[in-house]
Amino acid sequence: MKIVVAGKGGVGKTTVSGTISRALARAGHDVLALDADTNPMLGVSLGIGPEETDLLVAVRQGLETGETEHERTTEGFVERFGRDAPDGVRLVVASRIERANPGCTCCGVSPEGLLTELESDGKIIIGDLEAGIGTIMRLQEGHADVVLVVAQPTAKSLNIARRAVDMTDERGGRVILVANRVRDDEDLAVIRAAVGECEMVVVPDDAAIAQADREGRAAIDVDEQSPGVKVLIELADRLASMAVAA
Amino acid sequence: MTDAGQTSTAAPAGLRLAVVGKGGAGKSVVAATLARLLARRGHHVLALDSDTLPGLSISLGADVPDDVPRNAAAERNEKGRWRLVKGVGAARAVQRYATDAPDGVRLLQIGKTDKRGLTPNRASHNAFYQVVHRLDEVRSLDDWVIVGDLPAGPRQTAFDWAPYARRFLLVVEPTWQGMLTARRIVRIARQQREDAEFSLVVNKVTPEADVARAEQFLGVPLLGTVPADDDVRRAERAGVALLDLAPDCAAVDAIEQLADTLDVRNIDPI
Repeated sequence: MKIVVAGKGGVGKTTVSGTISRALARAGHDVLALDADTNPMLGVSLGIGPEETDLLVAVRQGLETGETEHERTTEGFVERFGRDAPDGVRLVVASRIERANPGCTCCGVSPEGLLTELESDGKIIIGDLEAGIGTIMRLQEGHADVVLVVAQPTAKSLNIARRAVDMTDERGGRVILVANRVRDDEDLAVIRAAVGECEMVVVPDDAAIAQADREGRAAIDVDEQSPGVKVLIELADRLASMAVAA
Repeated sequence: MTDAGQTSTAAPAGLRLAVVGKGGAGKSVVAATLARLLARRGHHVLALDSDTLPGLSISLGADVPDDVPRNAAAERNEKGRWRLVKGVGAARAVQRYATDAPDGVRLLQIGKTDKRGLTPNRASHNAFYQVVHRLDEVRSLDDWVIVGDLPAGPRQTAFDWAPYARRFLLVVEPTWQGMLTARRIVRIARQQREDAEFSLVVNKVTPEADVARAEQFLGVPLLGTVPADDDVRRAERAGVALLDLAPDCAAVDAIEQLADTLDVRNIDPI
């Protein structure tokens, strides 16, 4: 099963990706977490720490200077540009910052290309996409089974979310809106008004997630019982049952 | 060298900023509020928006025509490289394609992504890139303040989308993701531009926030902090300019102080 996570910058894509990956792995699934953001941060939210996250990014950037050798197979790619994260999640950094197209041709890597090439084989693949809607626009049928569109109660993020939802609908893909950092009914009303009647999960504004961001830790390690983290763990359960059904 | 003010190689006198940082750090709110506050002090201000998604115009409170015909400004030469159309220099492009924003700010926007994607806007993007690379040559903008709002992350900095910037304003939330993003941007910008200067603005500061840690981590001088402010949340939720919704709120106060500091440092009194 392939899941991608999209939305405006700063809405919480990486927190959602990281927390769901960890929860699925804890539930016994084989999880590959794919960092397809050109500003890769998924390592932080998975709980490997900020400096380790930057080291992994540096390995990818090392291709530029010749410090890292190129890799031609997908398996080798996952091996070379990945590392293990807590609960057995395999993290792979797909993007590079200073490239016109994310990834390099020799590695055959763009987020959507990698999503095509990687075999699910019973694995759950979670792709944390770049901010905005660029990758979502390039997604075709078969790239992703579920698109999680993350938004906050802000006009800008909802404008982007609306477009991502519409584009996925038009392709006939399954889309779930993850309404993040929701504080009150007015927040919820603004979100509903913007995106209409789509499948939605509401993640309340959560002190544990804010603490995780400050401390550079995984939210699930800070407090797995906090209201926001609990909603994300429930979402992971739901995604897992979809995987079984498929 | 002749009189520095007259030669075409002289650096423009005005304040020229690129506002950078992680997505959601508050770049557009800081950039827009700063631009308008500086305009209220009597400066000519050009705001540059190189994000293909909506942002700066909302935070400025500017009405922007849906489809500005900027595509007309660029063409491909015989080698397939983009250039500005003959007769449309950077000066004329700014004059023709910038639109009015509140407080007299002029706003130049890149073509935005719509349902058809980015492809129809390719000429506009190249035109914008050409224009920002030639702003230093535009004598009529010499005494203007330029505030550029860049999209999330280090990407555009890596591709040199803000060559006009004398100073990179790093807008950073006091989180590790925010700090790592800013460090990546600083490293890339330093590689490209030895003379670039950096200032740190720590945004959405709560009592738990560790501002000193961000300053130390980045090794960039702190220009100021902006508190977490519910009025900013309300403005962002409504999609309106902070200055219009809550002109006296704590965040505006803090940005006013940023303007004070920048104004004294970089601009001669008018």
